[in-house]
Amino acid sequence: MKIVCLIKFVPDVEEDSTNRILNPDDACALAYALMIKRRNPETIIEVVTMAPRTVMGHLEDLLRLNVDLATLISDKAFGGSDTWATTRILARYLQQTNYDVILTGTHSVDGDTAQVPSQLAEICDLPQMSNILAIEAGSFLAGKPEIEVDNDSSIQTFQVELPAILSVHKDSSYKLPYVAYQDLNRDVSSQVRVLTNLELGFLPEEVGLEGSKTQVNRTFVQKWSKEEKLIVQNDEDGIETVYGYLKKNGFLL
Amino acid sequence: MKKCLVLLENNQPNLPLELLEVAHRIFEKSSVFTVGLPLDSQIASSAEYFDVLVHAEGSQIPAYDTANIALIAAKLHEEYGFDCIIVPATNYGRMVAPRLAMRLDVGLVADVTGLEQVNGQLEMIRPAYSGKLFAGIVKKGMGPLMMTIRPGVFPAATNPFKTTQHRVFPFQRKSSGITFIGSREKPATKDIRDSEVLISGGGGVLEHFSRLQDLSEALRGQVSASRRIVDSGVASRKIQVGQSGKTVSPRLYIALGIYGSVQHMEGLKNVQHLISVNIDPLAPICSLADVVVVGDAVDFIDQLLKRIQR
Ligand SMILES: Cc1cc2nc3c(=O)[nH]c(=O)nc-3n(C[C@H](O)[C@H](O)[C@H](O)COP(=O)(O)OP(=O)(O)OC[C@H]3O[C@@H](n4cnc5c(N)ncnc54)[C@H](O)[C@@H]3O)c2cc1C
Ligand SMILES: Nc1ncnc2c1ncn2[C@@H]1O[C@H](COP(=O)(O)O)[C@@H](O)[C@H]1O
Repeated sequence: MKIVCLIKFVPDVEEDSTNRILNPDDACALAYALMIKRRNPETIIEVVTMAPRTVMGHLEDLLRLNVDLATLISDKAFGGSDTWATTRILARYLQQTNYDVILTGTHSVDGDTAQVPSQLAEICDLPQMSNILAIEAGSFLAGKPEIEVDNDSSIQTFQVELPAILSVHKDSSYKLPYVAYQDLNRDVSSQVRVLTNLELGFLPEEVGLEGSKTQVNRTFVQKWSKEEKLIVQNDEDGIETVYGYLKKNGFLL
Repeated sequence: MKKCLVLLENNQPNLPLELLEVAHRIFEKSSVFTVGLPLDSQIASSAEYFDVLVHAEGSQIPAYDTANIALIAAKLHEEYGFDCIIVPATNYGRMVAPRLAMRLDVGLVADVTGLEQVNGQLEMIRPAYSGKLFAGIVKKGMGPLMMTIRPGVFPAATNPFKTTQHRVFPFQRKSSGITFIGSREKPATKDIRDSEVLISGGGGVLEHFSRLQDLSEALRGQVSASRRIVDSGVASRKIQVGQSGKTVSPRLYIALGIYGSVQHMEGLKNVQHLISVNIDPLAPICSLADVVVVGDAVDFIDQLLKRIQR
């Protein structure tokens, strides 16, 4: 079985640093793929990312986890692509690749649109499901995965026909293993491929900022401020003020 | 006249009106012809707000069959030529909209929380860079405006009752490749979005979070939390308010030991009365509050409860 994992390296917003980490949802999806490969060593895992070349080191780290192949789609022309353009670029590569299943995250913490997987599914004419909490391993290996999906108040179970795009949520808690000691410095450069627009052949106006269908016009910080405000201490007077406020506005009988 | 397609989800009674409100805000001055398409064919209550309500013929199409729903919506667009397509940012709405956007070759803006006209162009506002900023996004190129809208963000101003034409749409459903097996409820906690009163705790009450329950009972509300509380494992993510939690619009929000990060405030929309209890009167949330109580939040709970019970 060949599994393609679509991954993205994102700024580590929790740490507020410029470090990049593997997008948490994508890390769960890749962890699942690696777990399947441990159960069935014939499984082939390819990670695919569209990103600047600076992610190379991160990709090599993933290869040392037992990923077979990494494809880096990277070209200056692709910079600034919105999800519409990104999807078309990823789709063009996927259409010339073999796979039985595509695993992705549900959403990325920087793009945060959760649009790429469903958009890809439409172009590639595949079934797709987001917010996946679990993929039952036996059925997955048998080519008819049973998945559990978070639907707010309920958890729904489905069976999906392959090929399909399965988009995992980080609440699934699949965890990436650590790199084995003997692999820490393993040379994996032969397992990375870089694809540019020379191979993919888009016209300049089809991709990047120019080819996008949406554009960020401005960014800003939201301002709030209240006109009248009561500021009180946490003492008898203050409590009386709060009590009166609640009473006046109908929160206390 | 402008034409607008609105996708609907069944289990959210206020949603149709909220999405119609969005349509009217986009096209301020023009009249809007509205077509409703339920994500789940068994729609009932939302009927009488639209000019046309579409029901797919034959087999019922469940919400998870996003490919077929996108296909119907695309066919409707071929016929009506919509100026705008509005989809709820629910789990399945967020899977249908991208498919439809690809089919129609138009840009899609996810999770819109605000709309603004800037130099004659519609800006769709959404949180960006993990909620640190807001981005105003404009559409480029041809085709309808398309966006997903967060439930609870655009309260309906009016109840535009209409005589709705119910239209059965002939449709041959193609195989979706997805078979429904079953569904189980998650452990029931009431949805914080339905509560008029929220007693919300943050880092300042981490060790005493359970005490919020007493106050919420006295004020007939529910308990909610900041992400600090949820990440510490003290409360479930279901009651988290904010960008990565839920958007709430209670009449009363009492913030106990909450700092007021941008990500948290992102989840507060149209809160009528905000009371902040914080040892630090300069915490950002205090600048937005109607009432600021400077002091220890747990002590505040004790004293206020005593006063209420007097
Ligand atoms: C991508 C991303 C998404 C996020 N999404 C969310 C989200 O959805 N919701 C959310 O809430 N956060 C979210 N956050 C986290 C957010 O940035 C803040 O870290 C978080 O909101 C802080 O929670 P807090 O205000 O409760 O805690 P703290 O920052 O710890 O603040 C505690 C406050 O309590 C006060 N205090 C301390 N002791 C007392 C006392 N005894 N009595 C009264 N006051 C006291 C302090 O003065 C302070 O103001 C997100 C962050 C990121 C990066
Ligand atoms: N540039 C990219 N390269 C590879 N995969 C991507 C890229 N952008 C998004 N994805 C995939 O799509 C998912 C959703 O991302 P997004 O639509 O940006 O929220 C991610 O979790 C990835 O699996």
